Amino acid sequence: MTVDIDFGRSVVDKVLEKGVDDIIVRLQERLYELIVFDNGVLRSYNISRDSGVGIRVFVEGSMGYSYTSSLDKESIFIAIERAISSAKSLKRHGISKNLYSCRGSKGIYRVSTKINPMDVDPEKKIALIKELNVETMRRNRIASAVTRYGCEIDKRVVVTSYGSEVYVEVTAIGISHMAVAKSGNTMERIQEQKTFIGGFEYVNSFDWIRFIEEINELAIKASQAKTPPPGVYTAIIDNKLIGLLLHEALGHAAEGDIVISRESILKDRVGERIASEKVNIVDDGLVDGGYPVPYDDEGIEKSRTIVVSDGILRHFLNSRYTAVELNQGLTGNARAQNITFDTIVRQTNFYMLPGEARVEELFEGISLGFYLLGMGAMGGQVDPSVGTFTFSVGPSYLVKNGEPSELVRGTVVSGNILETLKEVDLVAKDLSITTSVFGGCGKNGQMVRVGTGGPHTRVKRIVVGGV
Amino acid sequence: MDIARVIERGLRKAELLGVSEAEVFIVKEISTSILGTVKGLENIECGEIVTSSIRLAIGKRVAIQSSVLSKEEDIDKIVEYTIKIAKVASEDNNWVSLPKTLGKTPICDIVDGRIKEPNLDMFIDFVKKGLEEPKEIDRRVYTSMAGTSLSYTVKAIGNTSHSPMVSEKTMFSYRVMVKAIGDGEETGYYNYYIAPTLNEFRLDKVIEDAVKISIASLKARSIETGNYQILFTPRVFASLLTSLIVPAVRADMVIKNRSPLKNKLYSNVLSESLTIIDDGAAPNMPSSSEFDDEGIATTRKIVFDRGVLVTYLYDTYTANIEGKTSTGNARRTSYMVYPDATNIIVLPGTESIDSIAKDIRRGVVVYGTIGEWLSNPVSGYLNATVTNGVYIENGEEKHAVKSIVVSGNIYEVLSKELTTISKEYECIGSAMVPSILVEKVSVAGK
Repeated sequence: MTVDIDFGRSVVDKVLEKGVDDIIVRLQERLYELIVFDNGVLRSYNISRDSGVGIRVFVEGSMGYSYTSSLDKESIFIAIERAISSAKSLKRHGISKNLYSCRGSKGIYRVSTKINPMDVDPEKKIALIKELNVETMRRNRIASAVTRYGCEIDKRVVVTSYGSEVYVEVTAIGISHMAVAKSGNTMERIQEQKTFIGGFEYVNSFDWIRFIEEINELAIKASQAKTPPPGVYTAIIDNKLIGLLLHEALGHAAEGDIVISRESILKDRVGERIASEKVNIVDDGLVDGGYPVPYDDEGIEKSRTIVVSDGILRHFLNSRYTAVELNQGLTGNARAQNITFDTIVRQTNFYMLPGEARVEELFEGISLGFYLLGMGAMGGQVDPSVGTFTFSVGPSYLVKNGEPSELVRGTVVSGNILETLKEVDLVAKDLSITTSVFGGCGKNGQMVRVGTGGPHTRVKRIVVGGV
Repeated sequence: MDIARVIERGLRKAELLGVSEAEVFIVKEISTSILGTVKGLENIECGEIVTSSIRLAIGKRVAIQSSVLSKEEDIDKIVEYTIKIAKVASEDNNWVSLPKTLGKTPICDIVDGRIKEPNLDMFIDFVKKGLEEPKEIDRRVYTSMAGTSLSYTVKAIGNTSHSPMVSEKTMFSYRVMVKAIGDGEETGYYNYYIAPTLNEFRLDKVIEDAVKISIASLKARSIETGNYQILFTPRVFASLLTSLIVPAVRADMVIKNRSPLKNKLYSNVLSESLTIIDDGAAPNMPSSSEFDDEGIATTRKIVFDRGVLVTYLYDTYTANIEGKTSTGNARRTSYMVYPDATNIIVLPGTESIDSIAKDIRRGVVVYGTIGEWLSNPVSGYLNATVTNGVYIENGEEKHAVKSIVVSGNIYEVLSKELTTISKEYECIGSAMVPSILVEKVSVAGK
């Protein structure tokens, strides 16, 4: 199979012959290269390849989706029949929906690469990752280390009955490193990654030795650190952590499908104040440092969506279905992990816009608080219906008398996102957005790449848990 | 696509190209899912995918590659590419060989004809009931999401020492999210069921439990920061085991110095009232399979015997390093094979849950948490935010709790702080566990 628009159009034409109203055909070919060194030994060098076709049909108000990894005519015919049959099954149960009527986008977006990662000698990649891993294992107090090289080339085609013909090809490349340090009986691990959107030229030009050294040092220091005293504190949240927090705690609640199923704390709140006036949040398909999503998997252009401005909730993230249900416009946020899933509403690059404060100003006047850091953070989880979030942050600093003081480990923050966002009293002007070729956002069993970030942000009150 | 034939083809190709050993693993999955929300039935998704994974060795140079198969001939290219990678890989001095003896353990209740060839209307009705019944049970609740997924999987494996074996399995899952509204506040509870067959599925119970706990979570408020008795219900206890204990008993984690249980074999690690079993051949449990992901027959083994750690979990690679035999715990991802737990079974205690709750002087019954998977298995530190819980004083329920974080060292929580294990137990996904009462756990609240 060739992942191209012509092939997609030919499948759309076949489905149209069946008298279906609305059709989306998605083709995908994805290549993922992963090299893993574990404690000085090459644990894996894998290149996985996924490909296939997904077909969504809309029959008199009912939706059906089917996919196949076998691309012969018979398999595609079966997939078409299954999609139509699924939609008709729902139709028998009286289901009738509306989709946003629109003209689909046409376009080609391809990340430019100076050096195609797949053209680089595998031995060169292995040598780099081995060096980083072996160097780490030589360090005193480092008990274990895993270093990974990852590269993804994701080619997607979306062709629809309403005129979309888009081709998107994204190359992402990066290195991740995990160090486990041991001091006495205490072991701590720090995992961090750096991803670039582009070719191997980025790997060649980045200082990876310094990158792993920072991680190793932090792991060693964290293994010697105390755990924080639990309680409620004023906290400064760094660029990385604010992005992760917003993505989990607010971004998911802003997803249109969550809103219409009444699982979001943001439902019926458009126009309401949900955060302090310092807070401005957007979802943007194309932004420096983020993961490019120029079009979504319904073939709709992904533009910048202003979700919160001056603390007021303005807009949700939508698919063609949720846009109708919420009586809002399209935002281009229907995405799928791969062809084995139909689209659901997902964030792209969801982040807080910068303010005007200097980072140092955020520390002023804090007698006892926390400087919460994202490096080494293990992630978080949220219950979007009530806004409860929890986050395992990286090793962080106690702030005493306006200065970061000792490092603490095992820190967890928790709270209600709307209460917490109303406690934001200062936003710095330093914006930073990152993405990852090693992970992404999970929802309903699907993982998609996203970008997250924001400026340093101060919150007057947040629950800090520790051991 | 005849997957056994594809395996034979891949192995022949690898042998022709001169590898020392090769293994081909193929999974064909046909799946269907049905989703409903507060808006009613949403959609049906279905499809078929064939994935392959090849592991081969040239001397001690080992490579693993995975790929989706579009047609049988694809396996040739994957073999060629895997050999190319193996040739540039450095030698793994720990490599001994692929498994020499493959086998199967017969298991009851892992294939259900109703799932293998589904009548969609029956499963659509399950979803409709999940959407409609909660509000009939209690007018304060509604369902925001109900869904079901079915899959029929055929997996097969063969290597250069053993001809292909084939095994089939079905899987059914059901999930429902119930919301309760009271005095302008809203709470929710997500309940689910997963098993290979429908034999023990009780839709009414899944729905009733979700309604009950969502109602119990209304009017929640925080409690003061401090130490409390905590009653972890089976679902939460299962999650703690999966997040913190399972990674620590994986042999690869132990070998790589990433487990606090290294050098703790035959030591008292947990309370002597805790016996924990890993059983890859338990009837009607989700992680049961006739053989693991490298073709070793699955087994039942005690991992903690009355608190004493008696074995780690091994695949062939880690077993060879330690001079042991595989425990049938190999799991495959797209890029590696590693040992992992199958179904976790904790032997129940003797006290009823009601009598345990009455003994709580100042504590919380925890029904639901988020973020427990963010706990750190390397250090053993537990952190979880309680989403559904009830504060208890002197055996009496006082109010629901929210916005609290429970923390602690799991090895203290499950040893000196563990006071009671309930006689009642539940199947929660791949775990069959009771409730436990822990005497002192740090809680961050107000």
